[in-house]
Amino acid sequence: MGKFTIGCFSSLVGSLNLDFAVKLAGAALDKGHKVDMWVSGNATMLSIKGQRAFKDYSSLEKPLKELMEKGLTITACEACAEARGYNKDNTMEGFKRHSMDWYLASTFDADRVLHIGGE
Amino acid sequence: MKLAAFVSDYRLSVDSLERLKPEKLGIILVQNGVYHASIKENGSASPLLGYSADYYALQEDLETRGIDASKLDGKVKVINLGDVVDLIFNDYEKTAWL
Repeated sequence: MGKFTIGCFSSLVGSLNLDFAVKLAGAALDKGHKVDMWVSGNATMLSIKGQRAFKDYSSLEKPLKELMEKGLTITACEACAEARGYNKDNTMEGFKRHSMDWYLASTFDADRVLHIGGE
Repeated sequence: MKLAAFVSDYRLSVDSLERLKPEKLGIILVQNGVYHASIKENGSASPLLGYSADYYALQEDLETRGIDASKLDGKVKVINLGDVVDLIFNDYEKTAWL
């Protein structure tokens, strides 16, 4: 089994890219891989706690918590989050916040990297 | 280099692909990229299918869009997310998101 790092940039909650990244992380965890996920830019919106789930609308808080229980490490760009008013107090429990150094370090020792750019 | 390129949009990504010269190329169609596997314009398949590559389309994205997998271009293999993970780890060394 290997380590898989997924970087997702500039996607708001509700975007196809963010949905895909979370589902792919789940599939990799199910295969026994270690998964690191990094969100940057608008994708840091994913880190906010207390998001309300609507029927037929993408909601990732619950699946994300389930993936974290399975071992997913997920980190938001701290500067991107702060720039958007997402602070420690409204960050989902277990969701880490770091500078981009964290993402670089993760990609350097990953076996595979998927960098999903902005939309 | 063995490269898996993800195509997530129906807007053509051919320019980007032409700059990539991997020894082995896999094109994984996801999200709206799966339309490349099914839509013909003026009777012709998408130019994206003209590369010397192995082609894959994500089953759940086909189903979401009501695309019948049996009517895809014959060179496209339908896969699930677990298969995507296996391709990334077993068949390709690098990935690109187009």
